[in-house]
Amino acid sequence: MTIVRCLLQGVATTATIMTAAMGAIVLSAGSAVAAGDMELGRYLASECMTCHRAGAASGPIPNIYGMNEKRISYLLKGYRDKSLPNDAMQNSAMRLKDGDIESLALFFSKTSKP
Amino acid sequence: MSKISRRNFTRLAGASLATLSTPLFAPNVLGQAKPKLVVIGGGPGGGTLAHYVQKDAAGAIDVTLVEPQRTFTTCFFSNLYIGGLRNFNSITFNYDKLSQRGVRMAHLMAASIDRDKKQVVLAGGTRLPYDRLAIAPGVDLKFDSVPGYSEEAAQIMPHAWKAGPQTQLLASKLNALKDGDLIVMVAPPNPYRCPPGPYERVSMFAHVLKKKGFKKSRIVILDPKPAFSKQAVFAEGWEKHYPGMIEWQDPKMHGGIKNVDPKTGEIKTDLASYKAALANIIPAQMAGKIARDAALVDPSGFCPIDPENMKSKMDANIFVLGDACIAGDMPKSAFSANSQAKVAAMVIRSELAGARAFPARYSNTCWSLIETDDAIKIGAAYEPGEGKIKQASGFVSQKGEAADIHKQNYKESVDWYAGIVADIFG
Repeated sequence: MTIVRCLLQGVATTATIMTAAMGAIVLSAGSAVAAGDMELGRYLASECMTCHRAGAASGPIPNIYGMNEKRISYLLKGYRDKSLPNDAMQNSAMRLKDGDIESLALFFSKTSKP
Repeated sequence: MSKISRRNFTRLAGASLATLSTPLFAPNVLGQAKPKLVVIGGGPGGGTLAHYVQKDAAGAIDVTLVEPQRTFTTCFFSNLYIGGLRNFNSITFNYDKLSQRGVRMAHLMAASIDRDKKQVVLAGGTRLPYDRLAIAPGVDLKFDSVPGYSEEAAQIMPHAWKAGPQTQLLASKLNALKDGDLIVMVAPPNPYRCPPGPYERVSMFAHVLKKKGFKKSRIVILDPKPAFSKQAVFAEGWEKHYPGMIEWQDPKMHGGIKNVDPKTGEIKTDLASYKAALANIIPAQMAGKIARDAALVDPSGFCPIDPENMKSKMDANIFVLGDACIAGDMPKSAFSANSQAKVAAMVIRSELAGARAFPARYSNTCWSLIETDDAIKIGAAYEPGEGKIKQASGFVSQKGEAADIHKQNYKESVDWYAGIVADIFG
């Protein structure tokens, strides 16, 4: 769990740093990013919001709004294949298809924290 | 920019197709009058639904939330208040943010549902017409399921299974105990709100007794069930933190609850009698009254629903969310209600505003605190299957886990609580 916390906190910090460059990343991300579906992402993201809605930049359940799109996709795939630890996240990610992950990554990268 | 434009085009095209494919609702979509959603019950299910439809429909649907109370105290995390780990204000919320976001609040009791006319009748007679109605009335208690118990008896032997004054009464009685006093909990039979809740509550009782330095007090749980949620890890935690303090009895051990007497504090089972200084009686449960009065329940006392969309099997214009519904493998929990509301919100936006629809998917996680910084959890993902909401995968805390995992669980639960109450109340 310590590993998870450090990793997620690191991700949040990375996301903050990456925010300024995010527009350029989206434009250069290629077909994998273009497959994201904002409306599907909005629906799937509602499951994430139950826990992540109030997340701070660091913490056991961090903020993921505005996080870099590629980074979200990388993390979700890591939880899906269980290379990243945390049973709740693994359980949430294991039924996500690639298109679901890309849609979630698109939604959260484009959406400000409510 | 060209990629973003294509995405927008796809979305708009999808919306148009959805509109054309739902001609039944075309008059509403075309704007002669805004379609109307009425939601009864401002807890985890109803609050979340009102919030999400208002937010995502962006004004295309008129949302009214009927909730008689001006504030709502959450049952989830109320055990932490009982354990002295949170104050009462921290688990109590108002509807100001939902109102500011555009949800119309009706702080009146919903007296009845006129299903034929598609109207909710409020106390005082005002009628609210609806295109879609969602009810999330929670549970009512079957006081007579425990011999000798009643609504009046609950003032002396609190149930505290609906958060509010009962929760405060239970906490005050707990804090007034002397060393050597006996606590007896009569646990509820299945199905009931929050399956691990009684056992987290006992943990918080023990936490308070231990913190006071009591050496002689004991807690007896008289359970009508042969087993309970996360039992092995609860038992391990009790032995670790409160050795010898908690005794759990299944029906084979107590033989059945014969009577509770609020005047004497005596609780009789088939095999023994207990004199409780604090009795916490949690009776059997059923769907809230408005669901029963509207004939939305089956003989179980709860509401059957279509697992694809959370619609009542009795009336396709009515959605039933949360503890009142029969949610298949999902437990009755705030997390479940919140998850079910998001499926319903997606379906309602599709039917009333032409938004795209997606396959239903549900999830739940329940954290339970055993002692400070020692929490366990259980969770699962669910999907429609075999005519019910069926568990697709899951996880549960295991015996022998390291202390830092349980500490992390507790921190997660605190973050989750902050998230879900913002999801419900705006």
